[in-house]
Amino acid sequence: MVRAAADRAFLPTKNLLEQVGDMMILTGKTLLSAIRPPYPYGTEFVQQFLFMLRLCWLPLLISTVAFGYGAPGLQAGNFLVIFGAVDRLGGFFVLASIREFAPFVTAIILAGVGGTAITADLGARKIREELDALQVLGVDPIKNLVVPRFLALMIVTGLFNIFALIFGILGGVLATLTFDAPLGPFFATLLSNATTTDLWGSVLKTTLFGAIIAIVSCYKGMTASGGAEGVGRAVNQGVVIEFLGIFAFNYVFTQTLLATHPEISVIK
Amino acid sequence: MPTSWLDVPRDWMSSLGDIAKFCWRVMVEVFEGRALHFFGETLRQAGILILGSAIVIWGLAFIVGLTCGIEGAYFNRAVGAPSYAGVFSAWCDLREAMPYAFGYMMSAKVGTGLVAEIGAMRISDEIDALEVMGISSLTFLCSTRLLAAWMVLPFMYIAAVGAGFFASYLAVVQQIGEVSSGGFFLIFWMFQNPPDLLYSTIKGMAMATVIVLVGCYYGYTASGGPVGVGTATAKSMVLNTVLVHLVGMLGTQIFWGTNPRAPIGG
Repeated sequence: MVRAAADRAFLPTKNLLEQVGDMMILTGKTLLSAIRPPYPYGTEFVQQFLFMLRLCWLPLLISTVAFGYGAPGLQAGNFLVIFGAVDRLGGFFVLASIREFAPFVTAIILAGVGGTAITADLGARKIREELDALQVLGVDPIKNLVVPRFLALMIVTGLFNIFALIFGILGGVLATLTFDAPLGPFFATLLSNATTTDLWGSVLKTTLFGAIIAIVSCYKGMTASGGAEGVGRAVNQGVVIEFLGIFAFNYVFTQTLLATHPEISVIK
Repeated sequence: MPTSWLDVPRDWMSSLGDIAKFCWRVMVEVFEGRALHFFGETLRQAGILILGSAIVIWGLAFIVGLTCGIEGAYFNRAVGAPSYAGVFSAWCDLREAMPYAFGYMMSAKVGTGLVAEIGAMRISDEIDALEVMGISSLTFLCSTRLLAAWMVLPFMYIAAVGAGFFASYLAVVQQIGEVSSGGFFLIFWMFQNPPDLLYSTIKGMAMATVIVLVGCYYGYTASGGPVGVGTATAKSMVLNTVLVHLVGMLGTQIFWGTNPRAPIGG
């Protein structure tokens, strides 16, 4: 009776911890086999890189313009209009776009669009027993499938962040035009408040988001099992873990960056 | 695997009419009360929604609330008004961050879950079996789920807003200690009112409706074996993330537009 109750309470936790541990092991193996020669993953890397670009550019474009126009553009603009300081919207966009929403919208889209595609792809191979066949042939699935996806996703997420930044600021420009305000002051305050620390912080953050997305998607895809529902279930669990991981990491990173670099939050 | 740059929009264009027709049929079944014939199933789905998704949705809302809190605290310190961190929290949490956090987690947990579940039923011919038994599969599978979502999610959404508020309070007052608890709450409650909560809930519910319908569509039309279910799940996520952002933007434009609804200024 006590045993049953304890099992009921602790089995999900144990399961979760085991999965986290497995993902850590997969991360370690991926990093090691990325560094250790030979390097057979060049072609696959280029293919995955282009695949991500082709898949994500339009969802990311629509999402960042919509988010930039709505949340920071209209709401913060409204607040600044009360004080007759709508020209400060540009300065606010450094905080809003570069530091916060461009990175996490990029991560959400890459996880939701790219990560799910990777999980579905690898899950399909696992279900069709192609992964086992590869191992029988002496081809290491980690080196040939996980490493190229890991590297491609890291680089593509970091680069997409710049793309998201530009289109997020376009959303801010649209919001400024909605308030009938001139664009010159918007760009003036944007550029005078933007710092290099913000930019590298943003790119570093998204690159690490890419690593989280790649490891979770590959892990969930490669361990998919259980009939018709298996691959769908794997995609579902993978994207939930990715979202929680991304936002938890985002909180820790933002807090660390803001606390260790006080000069970036000085308004100029 | 798409090979051209325009595969994603082409895919949307070609299924847009289908999705609209499907959504219309599901909504009509709910509004004509036919989903009520399966009220037991509706309640079961509502229970699954509460037990399976509430914790993760509130968890994400909590983390996003923390982020809103620290950004607000540092921003208000920078402009020289640290005691006004409550304004940032009130607006960021209630108006923007919570609807988005809710939409993200709904599409990840509930949307893809629906595709996986209904898609598996389609693949193993269970949906055809339902039709053979004389049960309308669309009503039994999709309309009941939509009705269950409408019954449960407003409350879950408001609780998520509460989780976000609590997290912002923790971040601003307890963690960074920028402002006293009383000072925070004075400003925090002053800069929001019940209509704001209503608008925010409408925004969240619009996202939830879209997500449930898209999930049901991709599950109901899945094909091509276990692999097809996985692909359909991934595709539903692509459409859902974009629609969440579009609904969020339209909601902001409609409800707040260029009217700040703030207790200051002229």
